[in-house]
Amino acid sequence: MKAQKRKTRGAFLMLAWLLVAVFAGMIAPHDPSRRFEPYSPPGSRHLLGTNDMGYDILSELIMGTRISLLVGLATAAVATLVGLAAGLAAGYSGRFLDEILTGLIDVFLMIPRIPMLILLSAFMQPGALTLSILLGLLWWPPIARIVRSATLQEKKAAFVESAVCLGFSRPRILLGEILPNIMPVVKAKFLMTFASAMIAEASISFLGLGNPLLRSWGRMLYTAFNKGGLIHGMYWWILPPGFCIAAVVVTVMATGMALEETGRSPKREVLRP
Amino acid sequence: MGFNKTRLLRVLLALFFIFTLNFLIPRMMPGDPLVFLMGEDVVLDPGAMDELRVEMGLDQPLWRQYIRYWGRIVTLDFGYSYHYNQKVSALILSRIPWTLGLMLPVILLGGILGMVTGTLSGWKGDSRLNRGFTTLNLVIYSTPPYFLALACLYVFSVRLELFPLKGFMDSGTLPDILHHYFLPVLVLTAFFASRNFLLMRGSVRQEKKKWYVLRARSMGIHGPRLVFGHVFVNAALPMVTMIALDFGFLFSGALLVEIVFSMNGMGILIYEAVLSRDYPLLQGIFLVITLMVVLANLAAEICYHRLDPRLRIQ
Repeated sequence: MKAQKRKTRGAFLMLAWLLVAVFAGMIAPHDPSRRFEPYSPPGSRHLLGTNDMGYDILSELIMGTRISLLVGLATAAVATLVGLAAGLAAGYSGRFLDEILTGLIDVFLMIPRIPMLILLSAFMQPGALTLSILLGLLWWPPIARIVRSATLQEKKAAFVESAVCLGFSRPRILLGEILPNIMPVVKAKFLMTFASAMIAEASISFLGLGNPLLRSWGRMLYTAFNKGGLIHGMYWWILPPGFCIAAVVVTVMATGMALEETGRSPKREVLRP
Repeated sequence: MGFNKTRLLRVLLALFFIFTLNFLIPRMMPGDPLVFLMGEDVVLDPGAMDELRVEMGLDQPLWRQYIRYWGRIVTLDFGYSYHYNQKVSALILSRIPWTLGLMLPVILLGGILGMVTGTLSGWKGDSRLNRGFTTLNLVIYSTPPYFLALACLYVFSVRLELFPLKGFMDSGTLPDILHHYFLPVLVLTAFFASRNFLLMRGSVRQEKKKWYVLRARSMGIHGPRLVFGHVFVNAALPMVTMIALDFGFLFSGALLVEIVFSMNGMGILIYEAVLSRDYPLLQGIFLVITLMVVLANLAAEICYHRLDPRLRIQ
C-alpha cells in the first residue's frame, strides 16, 4: 500500500480511538466505579466479566483509553515543544550554542529512560499530568536531534538566504520559513513519541507505580497478574488490556512511519522512536 | 585508541550528570530525606532517627553531603538496604548475572536475526510477503514485551503446560535451565529482533539508492554478495551505536519480562524494592544500570571507530 494511503487510514483509526476516549463515559456499559460480584466470567451482563474488586472489565477497559491517550498526547506535546526549541536553536544559532545543545542531547540520550522513570515515580507517585511532564522531559532528545539536522539542511536553502537578505528577524525566519518546511519530520516524531510514551506509561503502571486510582491498561494488567488472573486462567481479564495497548500503539506508530515516508526526512537519519 | 575526544567527554559528562541527579532526587523531594534514604518500611524511634541523620551526614550542608556521596560512589559503595539488611552492592551483584545471562542470547540472536531479515526486507521489493512480515514486526515491536510474556505464559505454560510457570530452574540440570529460559528468551528475542528489523529495513532502503550500489552492479557484483558484502556493511555500521543505546532499553524490557516469569534476577529485585519503597536499593540499581549503559556506549564508540575505515583517515 502506498504511504499516502496508509497515512489517511492511520489518521482515521486514530480519530476513532480519540472518539472512544472522549465518549468513554457513554460507551461503557456500566459505571466503572460500581461493584458487582467479583471474579465473574464473561456473560451477557458482563461481556468481559468482572475483576477481583467486582468492577466490570469492559467498562474499565473503555475508560482506560482516556488515560493512555491523555498521557501519550501530553507527553508528545511536552517533548515536541522542548525538542523543537532545542533543535531549532542548535541548528540555526552559532557553533557555541550548537556544541552545548548537542552535548546536552547526547547526555540525555544516554540516560536509561525506563529505570530513571521507575526511580522518579517511586519517589513522586505522579498523577497522569506529572507523569506526562516527566516523560516529556525524558523523551525530547530524539526530537531535538532530528529537528537540528533538518534545520541545518534548510538553513542552506536559497529561500532562507533570501529571507536573511530581506532583513527578516530571526524568529520570523525560524518560525515562518524553516519550521513549516521541517513540519513533516516533526509530525512523524510527535507520533513516535506518542506511541513510545504509551508503552512507557503501561510499563510503569505494570510495576504498580503511579497513581493507583488511575485505572490505566497497564494498571489493569498489574492487578490481573497480581490478583490471580493468570493462575486461574482468566484470559478475559489478562488479554484485553494488552491487546488494547498494542492496537493503539500500532495505529499511532504505523501512521508515524507513513508520515516519515511521505515527508522529507533528513539524510541518514533512520527511524528512531 | 583513536576515538572522538568530544564523545568521551560527553560520556563522562553524562555519568556526572546522572549521578548528580541521583544525589539530588531524595534530597529535593518534599518530605524527610532520611525516609527517602532509608526506605519507607523502616520504623525507628526519634532518637535513633537523629543518630542516623548524623551518621548519614544529613545535618551537614548540601555540598559536604555531595562530596561524601562521590567518595562513596568511587569506592563502589551504593548504600545499605534496610529492607534486606544487606549491602546494596552485594544484593545487585548476586542478581545481575542472571539478568545478563538472559540478555546475552537475546542480544546475539535478536541482533543477527533482526538485522539479516531487515536487510532482506529492505532490499526486496514491495511484495505481499514482505509487507506481511513488516507488519508482524511492527505489531511485535508495539506490544509491551511484558504483555507478550504474559500472553506466552498463559498459552504455553498455563493452558498447554509445555513450559514451567516460573523461575530460572527446578533441579538445576542444563536441560532444566534451558527449559526455563526458553520462553523469556523467545519473547525478548522477538522484541529485540523486531526493533532491529525496523531500523535495518529503513537503513537499507536509504542505502539502496546510493551510487556505490549502481557501481557495484556495473562491475558484475550481484545477489547475496552485493546485499551482504556491500549494502549490509554500510547500513549496519550506524546500528552499532544504536544497539549500544538500546542496551538500556533492552535491559528495561528484560526486567519486566523477568517479573512475569518470576525469575529471581534484577527485575524481581526492582519490583520488591518498589513494593517496599526501598529507596536505597532502587537508587543503587539505577546507578548500576546507568553505569552499564554508559560503558556499553563507550564500547560501541570504540568498536565503531575500529569498524569504519573512513573514520580512521580523518
